[in-house]
Amino acid sequence: MIKKGFGADKTVYDNVDWMGFGVGSNLACVDVKDGKILRTRPFRYDVEYSPEELNLYQYEKDGKVFKCPTHNLIPPTSAAYKRHAFSRNRVPYPLIREDFDPEGDRHPENRGVSKYRRISWDDATEIIAKEIKRQLDTYGPGSILAQQDGHGESKVVHPSHGCQVNLLYLVGGCTIQARQPDSWEGWYWGAKHAWGGEPYGQAPQRNLFLDATENCKMMLYWGCDNETTTWGWAGQLPSRMSFWFRDIGIYSVFISPDLNYSAAVHADRWIPVYPNTDLALQMGIAYVWLTEDIYDKEYVATHVEGFDWLESEILGGIDGIAKTPEWASEKCGVPARVIRALARKWTKDPTYTAHCNGGSFIRSCYSHEPARMEVMLHAMQGIGKPGRNFLKFIEWMTFGLDEINPLPSFEYSFNPMIAYNGAPNDGTDDFIPKTMTPQGLLADQDHKIDWHGHVICSLPAQDQFLPFEFPHEDGPSIHMIWSDTPCWSTCWNGGNEYLKSLQNPNLEFVLLQHPWFENDARFADIILPSNTRYEVEDVSFDSQSGMPCTMIHCEQEVEPYGESKSDWFCVCEVAKKLEELYGSTERRYADLFNRYTRGRDVEACVKEAWQNGGVSEHMGYEEWLEKGYITSPFTKDWEKRPFGFSEFADDPEKNPLTTPTGKIEAYSTALAENFPDDDQRRPYVQYIADSDRFHEYRESEKAKKYPYLLVSNHPRWRIHANFDDNSWLREIHTCKVIGLDGYAYEPVWINPSDAADLGVKDGDIVKVINDRGWVLGGVYVTERVVAGAVLQDHGARIDPIEPGVSDRGGANNLLAPLETSSQNCAGEVTSGFLVGIEKVDVFELAKQYPAAFGRTFNADEGVDIDNFIVE
Amino acid sequence: MGKVFVFDHSYCNGCYGCQIACKDEHCGNDWMPYQKPQPELGHFWCKMVEQVHGQVPKVRMDYMPIMCQQCDACPLVEKHPDVVTKRADGLVTIDPVKSEGMKELVDECPYGAVYWNDELNIPQKCDGCAHLVDAGEIPHCVELCATEALKFGDEEEFADEIAKAEVLHPEYGTKPRVYYLNDPKLFIAGSVYDPGPQEEVIIGAKIVLEDASGKVIDETTSDDLGDYWFNKVEPGDYKVTMQAEGFATKTVEVKLDKSLNIGDFALDKA
Repeated sequence: MIKKGFGADKTVYDNVDWMGFGVGSNLACVDVKDGKILRTRPFRYDVEYSPEELNLYQYEKDGKVFKCPTHNLIPPTSAAYKRHAFSRNRVPYPLIREDFDPEGDRHPENRGVSKYRRISWDDATEIIAKEIKRQLDTYGPGSILAQQDGHGESKVVHPSHGCQVNLLYLVGGCTIQARQPDSWEGWYWGAKHAWGGEPYGQAPQRNLFLDATENCKMMLYWGCDNETTTWGWAGQLPSRMSFWFRDIGIYSVFISPDLNYSAAVHADRWIPVYPNTDLALQMGIAYVWLTEDIYDKEYVATHVEGFDWLESEILGGIDGIAKTPEWASEKCGVPARVIRALARKWTKDPTYTAHCNGGSFIRSCYSHEPARMEVMLHAMQGIGKPGRNFLKFIEWMTFGLDEINPLPSFEYSFNPMIAYNGAPNDGTDDFIPKTMTPQGLLADQDHKIDWHGHVICSLPAQDQFLPFEFPHEDGPSIHMIWSDTPCWSTCWNGGNEYLKSLQNPNLEFVLLQHPWFENDARFADIILPSNTRYEVEDVSFDSQSGMPCTMIHCEQEVEPYGESKSDWFCVCEVAKKLEELYGSTERRYADLFNRYTRGRDVEACVKEAWQNGGVSEHMGYEEWLEKGYITSPFTKDWEKRPFGFSEFADDPEKNPLTTPTGKIEAYSTALAENFPDDDQRRPYVQYIADSDRFHEYRESEKAKKYPYLLVSNHPRWRIHANFDDNSWLREIHTCKVIGLDGYAYEPVWINPSDAADLGVKDGDIVKVINDRGWVLGGVYVTERVVAGAVLQDHGARIDPIEPGVSDRGGANNLLAPLETSSQNCAGEVTSGFLVGIEKVDVFELAKQYPAAFGRTFNADEGVDIDNFIVE
Repeated sequence: MGKVFVFDHSYCNGCYGCQIACKDEHCGNDWMPYQKPQPELGHFWCKMVEQVHGQVPKVRMDYMPIMCQQCDACPLVEKHPDVVTKRADGLVTIDPVKSEGMKELVDECPYGAVYWNDELNIPQKCDGCAHLVDAGEIPHCVELCATEALKFGDEEEFADEIAKAEVLHPEYGTKPRVYYLNDPKLFIAGSVYDPGPQEEVIIGAKIVLEDASGKVIDETTSDDLGDYWFNKVEPGDYKVTMQAEGFATKTVEVKLDKSLNIGDFALDKA
């Protein structure tokens, strides 16, 4: 029996976590009273086990000790989640767009404009079932695009990621929106070709926390915010790790355009760099090493192939420009003397780079180049030698890979994914890259789109060389969307183009299931109300937080909101209706509900997770339900595991990398062979900036009109686009800026010198504008961002002024370039692009756009759902 | 002896978990006879305060939670002994029934820790989650502090920390039971470099901080990036002297009322 929290009727173990595909990290005790969430507390591992039984790790240095906590370090967003989960923004019942007539004019041009009316589940699923059959009969498999790739809660039985895909596969098929490695773009598209690092493109992490503790002297947090990005799916152990590094004397340098939330409390030195100019800084460092002869030449000779290509590029290269610190300083804004000093210190002191994904360093134009150049810098300093490595603060144990874990591994692991009802992430050929969805929605046999690679994050480097096009030969265009992922416009590239493409007349039906009326839901024809983890029974496991691997049974906490159903149950309702309407006449719809669920109810799924998810070998079913969790001890003798890259460093011949040569490739033989004509991603690193593809640099002509580079990293007070209606978070003064009209605008950080030039002050409202549109923001004048850059977090809930043009909510992904990150890379560019800042008078805008500004709102939650529902 | 809060600035990551935890525990939750529900919005019984120090690129943040200081000499207890109680364990509570209509309590707390609940017509504040403490638990804000920057427990347990700690506004004379460690106060930072012909940072320069009377307050040396920092400096007038072998000594006067990056200084050749 789970011990009840004070005052609770019952306590439920749950994983208050977002973004994961089944796996999570924020294990919590959720106390329930009178059918409501009373409070959320950290999960404790030592309720059923002693610390000795769990073999909790401990690190020691200079008499100081770092211990594995005995409870999960949940972030504030987990405790605040109940405010979001039951916000006024919830979809209470199925909705249909009021001017959408499935039998007549569907008015696709009014998506994002017209309102919704209530519809019964029965009527909604009948329209949906008929439309699915019509799509399959009319166009054949492939006309339905399944958007099924996040962001949403991490669940197993009721996942918000792809329940519809499994149903569509049973009745004929669909086109998958394939999500590219959006958090680590550059390493995936670039570093993989330099050092392998499959499947991420990043460095193996094995036991690196121990190596860093014992041997590192300087930590370069490069574009890294481990006080923000970890909250959704990794908890707060990384925060303690950084304090530990400080306590044992590791010099912490943060390189980023903003004093991010980690730099704010952990930095010994902040080196502000203009967004997406890290490549120049890196090259300036390499120049110092080469010209002063202070790099590890012996290591390079034995571990690196094609180094002369790099050397040539740094000392002159095809542009004939030596990449001196002075040259770099002009590009990146870091004084040349600091570049020289940093380079020398890196040589002198064993140095790590540290990362937490996201941001301008790795998500901007040609992100493969700074990623590859980082590999080159590490190669020149002997990566894998004691104290010289690359540490990740996030995504530990992803894909169940112990290689991606800097902490001790587990005696045994759990994985309930056998019971997962979401989509397989298997690299089907029937897909379009998520970064190309706007073009994909418009593509037809006369206007095909093409790209390389399946683009999903789990495939090896060679996959990037496979050519694809859409539509397939004689295959259909997209005529329907079924989405459980309504955050394309707020989290991906070229959002305004996406919104316009949703109004395309060939797109005959947009179906969406989601708990909240937000973002892309504004452009749906039918919305099914799905619900949250609190409203369902499920299972979950945590292997990513750095805590002992644990699998929990999650009882249902509260009754479903309104008429909502879980994502799995939403799809079950459609399955039932398809079977009811067509099961007796068409074989593919016969017995569909049973085939879809495989005859399992929730209890059977939970038992399946226990049986085949690694628990049954260690604990009986009833005991697991009774205790609510099972935890694996950490392995013994974990200290003896070799550090990531150390075996390669010791003997590269016996421990080759996954690159074609087995070495670090300064000249990528695979890129040379497969893309000999690619002048954007050559076989070797080149300095690349303003080009035919991108004019998003300070030296671009466009910078005269839009002079600021926008930093748009993972948001502090949201998890991507989740939580923007969370009133407790909105009370934090850096979360929103309240305008004179009472509306809560998304903050725009502006350096005081730029604010003076612009004539703006704290609390002013400005347009963030470029030639792709404009969004509004509230000015926050701060020394936390370098002059020349402005910062606005991504993921603010869209509140269109003119759909596809302008937005009051501040969803700046609408302004991001539509072009993917490079000619042959389907990456996103969502940070480090040019914008202008213009002060506005919100009351004048209200006169100009009375409909948008006339919508009722609460500053604590945003625009009311009532604006969009007609009785 | 009794309960105390101990907050360490140097381990706070500014996550606002304590502020959110307070709302999680109290908003919409009725803990009578201890507390009636906190309004969903607008109250900050545990209020995180943040401050940006310095200028690019010498910038740091400081965060601190401010809650009822559970003062041993709480003026509210003295003035309203039937309504505001000093418990045996040191926590200060406001009777949620007897305090009805007593809006004056809001202004009487010198720390601004008392909030007015308009709907219930009562003053409210942090009571250290007395309902949890009496059940053998810890305040929810402490439970959710991921870095253990905020702690709670028996006074004797924290004797060493308390000996080094400060209290907020000791001049109020209210004897708070919330202790703050490692207040960063203000800093003076800068850097030194050799202007050329090729710019180089100067490492190991001797940097001396003197007050207006010429008394040496602190000394340091420039680091590998040519930077120096004087931390935990009180407001006032200072003189910073930068000396490096082979260079002329440079002195600048500093009026310190906020943390300052006094700049990057090119030292002339001697």
